[in-house]
Amino acid sequence: MRARLTRRTLFSLVLGLLLLSTAAAMRGCVGPYQHLLSQLQRQAHLTEDTSSLLEPYIHLQGLNTPILRGSCTEHPGAFPSKDALRGLSKRSFLRTVNATLDRVLKGLVALQKQLLEQQDLKELETARQNIQGIRNNIHCMSWLLGGSSETAEPMQTGPGSWLQLTSTLDVFQAKLEGCRFLRGYHRFMGSVGWVFREWGESPSRSRRHSPRRALHKGVHRTRLFRRGKRPVPRGQLPW
Amino acid sequence: MSFAHLNIISGNILLEELQSHTQRRIHDDIHFPMPQVPASQSSLQYVDLVRRSEDPRLGRKARIPGPMAFFAVFQKTLLLALLSWRTFWSEVLAEYVSLTPESLKVSTNSTCQCLQLQWSVHQLPHHQELKMLFQMEISRIKPSNVIWVGNYSTTVKRDQVLHWSWESELPLECATHFVRIQSRADDAKFPELSIWSNWSSWEEVHVQRSLGPNTLLVFPKNKLVEEGSSITICYISGINHNNITCYLHEKLIHGVQLDSNASAFKLNNIPFIRKSGTNFFCEVNQTDIKSGTTFFVSKVLEEPKNFSCETQDFKTLKCTWYPGVDTGLDWNMQPSQSYTLFESFSGKKQNCKHKNSCNWKITQDVQETYNFTLTTANYFRKRSVNIIFNLTHRVHPMAPHSVRFESIGATPVLMSWKVHALGNYLTLQCQVELQGDGKVIQHSVDMKVNGKLLFGELVPGTEYMARVRCANAKHFWKWSEWTVENFTTPEAAPSEAPDVWRTVKSENRSHIVTLFWKPLSKLHANGKILFYNVVVENLDEPSTSELHAIPAPARGIKLTLDQCSYRIHITANNSVGTSPASVIMVPEDSGNRTEEVEEERIIGKEDGFFISWKPQSGDVISYVVDWCEPHQDLFCDLQWKKLGPNTTFSLISSDTFRPGVRYNFRIYGISTKKTAYLLEYKTGYSQELAPLDSPRVAIANLTSRSFAMTWKDYSTESQPGFIQGYRVYLKARARQCHPGFENVVLSGVSIYCKYTIDDPKKKTFVVENLQPESSYEFFVTSYTGAGEGPNGTFTEVTTPDEHSHMMILIILPMILGVLLIMLSCYWKSDWVKEKCYPDIPDPYKSSILSLIKSKENPHLTIMSVKDCIPDAIEVINKPEGTKTQLLETRKPVTENELTKPIYLYLLPEGKDSSDPGPCICFENFTYNQSASDSGSCGHVSVPLEDPPCQLGLLPSPNNLLKTLEKNYMNSLGEMPAEETSLSYVSQLASPIPGDKDSLPTNPPVPAHCSEYKMQMAVPPCLASLPLNENSSQSSMTL
Repeated sequence: MRARLTRRTLFSLVLGLLLLSTAAAMRGCVGPYQHLLSQLQRQAHLTEDTSSLLEPYIHLQGLNTPILRGSCTEHPGAFPSKDALRGLSKRSFLRTVNATLDRVLKGLVALQKQLLEQQDLKELETARQNIQGIRNNIHCMSWLLGGSSETAEPMQTGPGSWLQLTSTLDVFQAKLEGCRFLRGYHRFMGSVGWVFREWGESPSRSRRHSPRRALHKGVHRTRLFRRGKRPVPRGQLPW
Repeated sequence: MSFAHLNIISGNILLEELQSHTQRRIHDDIHFPMPQVPASQSSLQYVDLVRRSEDPRLGRKARIPGPMAFFAVFQKTLLLALLSWRTFWSEVLAEYVSLTPESLKVSTNSTCQCLQLQWSVHQLPHHQELKMLFQMEISRIKPSNVIWVGNYSTTVKRDQVLHWSWESELPLECATHFVRIQSRADDAKFPELSIWSNWSSWEEVHVQRSLGPNTLLVFPKNKLVEEGSSITICYISGINHNNITCYLHEKLIHGVQLDSNASAFKLNNIPFIRKSGTNFFCEVNQTDIKSGTTFFVSKVLEEPKNFSCETQDFKTLKCTWYPGVDTGLDWNMQPSQSYTLFESFSGKKQNCKHKNSCNWKITQDVQETYNFTLTTANYFRKRSVNIIFNLTHRVHPMAPHSVRFESIGATPVLMSWKVHALGNYLTLQCQVELQGDGKVIQHSVDMKVNGKLLFGELVPGTEYMARVRCANAKHFWKWSEWTVENFTTPEAAPSEAPDVWRTVKSENRSHIVTLFWKPLSKLHANGKILFYNVVVENLDEPSTSELHAIPAPARGIKLTLDQCSYRIHITANNSVGTSPASVIMVPEDSGNRTEEVEEERIIGKEDGFFISWKPQSGDVISYVVDWCEPHQDLFCDLQWKKLGPNTTFSLISSDTFRPGVRYNFRIYGISTKKTAYLLEYKTGYSQELAPLDSPRVAIANLTSRSFAMTWKDYSTESQPGFIQGYRVYLKARARQCHPGFENVVLSGVSIYCKYTIDDPKKKTFVVENLQPESSYEFFVTSYTGAGEGPNGTFTEVTTPDEHSHMMILIILPMILGVLLIMLSCYWKSDWVKEKCYPDIPDPYKSSILSLIKSKENPHLTIMSVKDCIPDAIEVINKPEGTKTQLLETRKPVTENELTKPIYLYLLPEGKDSSDPGPCICFENFTYNQSASDSGSCGHVSVPLEDPPCQLGLLPSPNNLLKTLEKNYMNSLGEMPAEETSLSYVSQLASPIPGDKDSLPTNPPVPAHCSEYKMQMAVPPCLASLPLNENSSQSSMTL
C-alpha cells in the first residue's frame, strides 16, 4: 500500500514537473518541435498508465473483484481506435485528440461530482490537470504544424459511449460505466502515445506536415495540405 | 470490512416469518388505528402497535366468584340476546348503507419500495364526516398468500380520496403484490355503522411486467440503509436459477427462490464499508450476463460531544463541538449530517456552515442567559444536545497585546500590556510569568484594560522571557493564549572578584607562575565578561608593574617572574566596569616547600576524597586545596577549593574523578599577607585498580643452587593503584615449595609456589636451594589494593651443573698460563729467536771477508755472477708439486715482474760436470740481477712466468735488485776494478727444503754433512746457452 502511495506521489511529481514545463511552453509555444513532441510522448506514456487513475477508481468504488473487473471493458467506439488515429493526418490527429480530451475532461468532472469529498480520489484532479497540459501542448504542436486544434469537429463516437451520470442513475451501473470510461481513456492515451512515437521515429510521416519553421523556409504548403487529405484507411474517418 | 458476520436469512425463513407475521395479524381481533404517516414511518409505527397488541395485560380475563354464578348466567343470556339484536340490525343496515371502499388504485414508488393506495368512500349515510376504520390486506405472488394485514383509521368526508402507503421489505420489482381493503365506521355515535364492509376486489401490482429470456435484474437500486439494519435484495430473471450466482462484493451469497423468476437475499446487521456503497451483483454462469446493485450504508449518527459556547469580545459567541463520524455518502446518496443551532430565549435558529463550530451573533441588547440546542440530522436520525449558560461565565479573553518593558535602573524592569476591551464591568485576572537565570517567577495581576507589573531583583545582563495571559477574574472560564516577549536587563559591573589560584615552579632562578581563574557566575558577572586584567606588581621594585589584558573566555595566564616578591591583581571586566580584584602573592621562596612536606596517602570514596589537615596556628586566614584533574592529553586542569580559616577538613568531590587515576592534593595555608604556603601533600585514588602490567624480570647470579631476579626498571608510580608489593610465582618439577613460599593453584590446574614481597621498593629476589641442572619457571607480578597485575608468561630458567665451576677453575688458569707464556715469549722474542732460530750471518759482514781483504788480497772483491764460469752444475729434480706450489704462490706477482728477464747461462751441453770449463751461471735475483742488468754480454732472455725465488718476501724485484745492487756496488767500490772479473764469491744456503725458495737473509753457516747450493758469479763472456726453467732450482754440492 505504501509502495503504491509512493509510486503515486512520484508519478504526481513527474507529471507536475511536466505540467510546469508545459505551462511555460504554453506562454509562447516557442519550444522546438522535437522537444514538444518528446513532451507529448512522455505525457501520453504517463497517462496511459492505469495506475494513475483507473486503479484508484476501481478500489474506491469497490469494483476490485475479478467479475467486476471483467465487466470493466471499454465500450467499443467510445474512443477512437489506434488504427483510426494512425490513419489520420497530423493536424487531424491533433484535432481529434484535443476534442476527445475535452470530452474526457467533462467526464472526469462528472465523476468528481459524485464524490462526497474530492480528496477521496485526488487522482481525478491530477488527471484533469494532466489532460489540460496535454491539450496545451497539442495546441502548441498544432501551431507549429500550421493549424489549429480548436477548429475541427471531434471524431464521432458511438451512442451512449460516454459517461452520462443523471440523477436517476443506477449507481452500480454508473460505477461500471465510469470504469469503462476510464479504461477507454487510458487505452486512448496509449494509442495517442503510439502515434506520437511514430512521429518521432518516421521522418517520412513528418514530411506531410512539417513544423511551422519548415514552412517559413519555403516548403510547399499546398502540396503538404494535399498530401494531408489523402484517403483515410478503412474509411473510418469522415474528415 | 467483511460480510462474514452478516446474518443472511434464507428465503424460506423469510417467507415463513412474513406469513406467520401475517397470520398473527389476521387472527387479531383488535383493531388499531393507523394514522396517516409518511410511508417510511408507517411500518415502524405498525410494529409498535403490534407489540401493544401482544401485551399479556390486554388479553387477561377476569375470574367470576361462585356465588355470583347466577348473575353470570343471566348476564350471558342478556348479552346473547343483545348480540342477536345487534346482528339483526346490522344486516338491516348493511342492506341500507354500503361503506365499501371504492375506486381502489395502487401505485408503486421504487425509491421507497412503497405501495401507494388511493380509494374513496362514496356513500356516507347522513353525515358529512365519519370516522372510519379501514383494513388492508396485502398478498404477494398470489392473492391467497397474504403477507400483511393492517388497519388505518381516519375521518372521512363524502367523496374524499384517501391515501395510504405501505413499505415493502422485499423489493416490489421481484414479486407481484395484491391489495384489497374493507372498512367500517369507527364512531361511537353510530354503532349501527360499525360493521365491516365487503372487501374490495384484489388490486394486482406489477412493477416489472416484461421479462426477457436473458434478462437478469437485481433490486433494489441505490437503497440507503443505516448501519446495523437489514436489507433484502432480490433478482428476477428468466434464466434457470441454478445458473445464477450472486456475490456481496467478493463473497458468494446464497438466496432463496421466491418463484420461478425471483430469488431473495436478506442481509442482516449490515456494516459500513465505504462511502461509495456496497456492491451486490449476480452473474449467469458462463455468460456475460451480469447485473448488480449498489446499496449505501450510512453510519449511525452520533450525538455531538463537548458542546460549548464562549465569547472573546461580547459580540460573537463561538460554539464548538466534536461532530463524531461523518455519515455522508458518495453518489449524492446522503450529504454529511447537518448541524443547526437553536436558542430558545430568542427563538432564533441558525444553520451551521461547519460541522464542528458555529458563530452566533450577540445582539445589542445584551442577553445574559442563553439556552442553545444543537441538532444534527441525517436521513435516518436527529440528535440534539443542549447547554444553558450566562454569557459572562463564558468569557475567553483574547491574548494580551502591546507588551512593553521599561528599564528603571539596572535591575528593576516595568512590564506593561493591554487586553482587548471586554466592557467596563469585567475585571480580568492576568498571570505573568518570568523565566530567566534558571528561575521562573509568577505573578498575578487584576486589571481591566491596561496591566503593569514591576520586576525587581533581576540579574543584570540577562535575557528573560516574559509571558502573560488573562481570564475572567470573577467567573473563570478559560485562560487566553499566552503572549510571549523577551527582554534583556542592562549590564552592571561584575560584583565579585574572580576566584583565582596559582601554581609556582622555580626554574633557573625564576618563578614560573601560572594563574588560573574560574569564570564568574551569571549572578556575579552582571553581563558578558569581555576580558581579564592581570596586574603584576613587583614588591621589591614598586615602580615596576605590568598589566596583562587577557580576553575572555581565557581561564589563565603563565608568567615568568624573577625571584622577587610579587603581588598580582586579577580583575574581570565587562562592558560596564571592573570587578573587585583578586590578589595573589608570590614570595621570593615560592612557598612550595615540597621537599619539606611528606606525601601522605589517602583513600578515595565513592563521593570523593576526604581531606583533612592539621590546624595551623597564627595568621592563616584561609586554606586552599588544589589538585589536578588530568585529561586524556595529560594536560593538567587545575582545580582548587578555598576554605575558611577554621576548617580542617573537606570532602573533595568531583564528577570527573575516575578510577585508577592518581590525584595529588596540596593543602595550602594563606597567611594574612595573602602568601600561600604548602602545608600538606596527599595523594590517592578515588578507586584503585589492579596494576596494568607486571615487572620485566632479569636473571642474575645463576648458579646451580640459586639465581636472582631483578626488576629495577618497573615504575610503581604509573600504576592505577598504590603498588603494595610483588608476588613471585615459581614452578618446579618437584612440587614442593621452599620455605617462605606457599602453594597456589593458578588457572585452576597448575600448582605454583608463591612468595609475597611486601615492600614495593624491593625489586630483587633471590631464589635459593635449587637443584642443579633443573628447570624452573617463574613469574613476578605486582599487586595493589585492587589485586594483582595481569597474568604474564612464565620464564624458564635452568640451573647449571654443579661441577661446571670446577671446570672453569681449571681451564681458566690454564688459559691464563698460556697467555702468560705467550706474553713472555713476546717480551723475550729476541732471546728466543737467538736461542731457537738465530739469524743467518751476512757473508758480507763476515769477519773472514774483512780478514781476507786486509791480509791476502787487498783487491779482493766479490765475484760477479756474470763473470762466473761454473765448473759444475748439479741439477736437483724438484718435485712437480713443489713447483706448482711455487707457481701458485707467484700469482700475485705483477705483470712487470713477470716480464723481467731471468737469465740462466749454462755451459755447452755434453760437457762433463766434473770437467773444468766455463761455469754455469744460474740466476737468482739476489745475485744475478745486477749482472744481468749490466748487459755486458749478449744473453738470451727467457721469459719466466714463475721466478723461482720466494718473491713474497720481497715487495718488488726491482727494489730488491736495487738494494742489492747498491750493497754490491758499495762493496765493489772498495775493490779494484781489475780484479772483479777474477774473484769468486760463493754463497752457502741451507739445504732445508722449506728454505729452498727462501731469500737468504743471513750468511749460511756450513753444517756438517749438509748439502749446500752454491752460486757463482761468472764472466759474461762465458755465458752461452740459457738454461731451462727447471734449472732455476739447481744446486751445487760443495
